[in-house]
Amino acid sequence: MSEGMVVSEGRITVEDVVCKTGIDELDVQLDGGIPVGNTVLMVGSSGSGKTTICMQFLANGARQGERGVFFTITEPLFKLTKNMQGFDFYDKKLIESGMINLIDLRIISERLGLDAEKYTVEDASALLEVLKDIADELNVKRLVIDSITALCYRLQTKEMIRDFIFKLGSSLAAMNCTTFLTSEVPPNEVKYSQYDIEEFIADGIIFLGDVDRSGDLIRTLQLIKMRGTAHSRIKSAMSISSKNGIELTPLLKSRA
Amino acid sequence: MTNTLIDGLKERVSNAITINQSVGVILPGNNYSDLIQALFEHIHSRSEDVWVYVTITRPYESIFKQFGDLSSGGNIKFIDCISRAAGLPKIDPNCIFIESPAHLEKIIMEILNIFRNIGDNVQKYLIIDSLSSLLIYNDAQLVTEFFTHLTNRTRLSDIHSVSIAIEEEMSDNINKIIYLRSDKIIKLRESFI
Repeated sequence: MSEGMVVSEGRITVEDVVCKTGIDELDVQLDGGIPVGNTVLMVGSSGSGKTTICMQFLANGARQGERGVFFTITEPLFKLTKNMQGFDFYDKKLIESGMINLIDLRIISERLGLDAEKYTVEDASALLEVLKDIADELNVKRLVIDSITALCYRLQTKEMIRDFIFKLGSSLAAMNCTTFLTSEVPPNEVKYSQYDIEEFIADGIIFLGDVDRSGDLIRTLQLIKMRGTAHSRIKSAMSISSKNGIELTPLLKSRA
Repeated sequence: MTNTLIDGLKERVSNAITINQSVGVILPGNNYSDLIQALFEHIHSRSEDVWVYVTITRPYESIFKQFGDLSSGGNIKFIDCISRAAGLPKIDPNCIFIESPAHLEKIIMEILNIFRNIGDNVQKYLIIDSLSSLLIYNDAQLVTEFFTHLTNRTRLSDIHSVSIAIEEEMSDNINKIIYLRSDKIIKLRESFI
């Protein structure tokens, strides 16, 4: 039996072992959902929909009674909430009730007296401890860090980045919550991370890209890896709409 | 004369679509307007059914101008695939405007989204106007794949479909696939007039 399974009166339910994203087509591709406790790298260039998927993941979880936390280091909170207000999945009450917690890591850095632009190894470890404490205290089941790229950007050397990422991996593994780490990559490159190391702590990789069709860009989503589930690897066309949030359908392939 | 033609068309389409799940209509460009009029008259007479009309041939606004507010019956929704791409931005609660007719997957998503909210006891109909117009914006193999994918999904969801193809715009691929995937083909000849 894998870690995270709960046996209740001899019965194991699907919800005990998988974390449904609530995006129907994605859950089908994941063979039910993300195995509970997995750390998933959400990779894409700017504007590819990483933050929207993460917020929808948290909102859908909150509606099922799973508390979530969104740590941002790229956008101020007011901007984040403003961008999400246009989506039907967004409900202010989920934030007011504490089912979704939005936390600006830059504010925490300030409170810890850290240099907001440059972190030492000790600074990064302190930040990680705070992050872990918040997650434990809130008893969150879903966690998002947006973005790991921006977080690592504040570290000075490759060695520091590598150490931090491995520490982050160990901390996340101990938390038993399902985590999305967003990873920014340049457009039109099949690359999963900026520092070529983030993918090694990830149990899963979801790649968001674009396909050029007659000059129009079609958004795509592809599951590259997901430990613990027999997932699909097909490339899907992805749509982002205010009414339905993220929607997927198999991408049509032109052989021309 | 014209009324006889339209009544005849209406009867043929009506009979075919009632019996068959997937109907292909191949016609010369000259008869296009007559067919559209026949289809809208049929839709108007079937207020208990739900229709989704995907237009790639004419902007929704132009259909609206010619046939009036077809949505007053509450049983038809439009998906306009060309207006936004042509720089004719419109907002209409009865029409979904797709960014580009090259975004075929989005067309499929919007069709299925509309029908998803319709009860099982209601007859559901889809009109694609037209498959051949999609060839202006997409390569033939892609349109073939789109049509195959769409008909698979509509069959599974008990949606009847009418797919129009204008002879002058047809390619061999579309000709083959429309014959292959349709339960019934209505081929209109000018001699029919």
